[in-house]
Amino acid sequence: MMQSMLWAIAGLSAIPFALAGEVFMLGLGLASLLLALATCLLAIGVLWRRSRARRWVFALEITCFVGSLLLLLVPIGANHGPVSLMTNLALPIAVVLLLRKPREAYS
Amino acid sequence: MFNIATDHAIGLYAGLLALPLALIAIRLRPARRLVPGTVLGASVLMAMSGAIHLGLITTHRDEPITALLFLLNGVAYILLSLAFTWRWWRSASASLLAATLLGYLVYIAAGFDSPDQVAVATKLLELTALGLVLVPVRGELGRRMWRWASLAVALPLLTLVTGSTVWIVDLARPADAQHAHAGALLQATNEVVTPEQEAAAAQLYAETKAAILPYQDSRKAFADGYRPGGPSNMPSSHWMNQAYVDAGYVMDPHRPQGLVYANTKHGPVLLGAMFQMKRIGQFGPDPGGPLTAWHQHENICFTPFGFEFSLMTPFANCPLGSIDISAPPMLHVWIVDNPKGGPFAVDIDEGVVKSIDRL
Repeated sequence: MMQSMLWAIAGLSAIPFALAGEVFMLGLGLASLLLALATCLLAIGVLWRRSRARRWVFALEITCFVGSLLLLLVPIGANHGPVSLMTNLALPIAVVLLLRKPREAYS
Repeated sequence: MFNIATDHAIGLYAGLLALPLALIAIRLRPARRLVPGTVLGASVLMAMSGAIHLGLITTHRDEPITALLFLLNGVAYILLSLAFTWRWWRSASASLLAATLLGYLVYIAAGFDSPDQVAVATKLLELTALGLVLVPVRGELGRRMWRWASLAVALPLLTLVTGSTVWIVDLARPADAQHAHAGALLQATNEVVTPEQEAAAAQLYAETKAAILPYQDSRKAFADGYRPGGPSNMPSSHWMNQAYVDAGYVMDPHRPQGLVYANTKHGPVLLGAMFQMKRIGQFGPDPGGPLTAWHQHENICFTPFGFEFSLMTPFANCPLGSIDISAPPMLHVWIVDNPKGGPFAVDIDEGVVKSIDRL
């Protein structure tokens, strides 16, 4: 849910740049909003204990974590502040840890 | 917004220290088995937030009202983090978290403080804790609909309002003069320009202008290795010479790493040159003092699709398909009149570009 909101804000943040003429940013903004919607639906799926939703969340969080870790390790000047570490590394780890429930709990 | 204020750093250490202590405290309490994981999670996050608030008292002793608010807030958070079996725990926690979040937004909007990494991290902790507090638990009767509605509507709205307020305040009132330009860090210089610096800046301007005038013909620039980057529908484009970038020439008027062209209906019109350093954080020589301060673009979201940019959100996220990067320091030399910022400004005045397009 939290991650969905963060992606929604990232998507919305691209819109002013799209309005200023950066056409690709419009596409990326909309893609981010769709991802936010999908993440929200997955969150609902997890609450309903759907095993497929849980698997997708695992895949999504691990992808996010690995991607963010790569960005932090590659010297491209990515932000290393506490907020970045929280949202891009700690949050995916926390979600994965919290979802480590016995498989039987999910249908 | 992306810096840690020196008087806030102690709060970060206190919060990090509180994490293992809160986990141990919960582990030692048998009552933890009676409540769901969301409640325990919220308790840990509130303990961290409380420790951050208490830690900040030490560096805000000269601001009695702020220090008192930190004390009350910190103590309330710590007490609630321990009282997770209390009957009114949920309503008290939700009220305190929401009041703290909204209070902080009013505080920064009124100009009493500037948002920094410690503040934004604390707000993230509080938003997450609020979400966990609002999650209905199994077997709970009544108020479930109200909780779901809060979780689905109020929490996203509060997150959006928090992010927007922090962003607007930071853009409108940067924490320091070096961040006066959105997404860019200005080189630290002396404040008042000396006559020697003025003369050196004039010399740099004259040399650069003379050296790049042949590039008014964009075909010559192309022949010499400059290539346009970014979308052509923007008012202006940077043409970069990768060979000069790789060679690492430092402020050489005859080999500027970039040229800036206005994208007009008559074709590219030369606006100026751009010197760029090779490494992030390595500012170039500054002969004109404050007149020729370099700038480094930080926390920008770059996408290879169309080579476009946006700004990273306060929650350190970029739109899908773009990555957070920083660019090495750069210095522009505008050879056209730039009334708003002068010949070495970070940006060219949009009005100038529009007037060139109208010619």
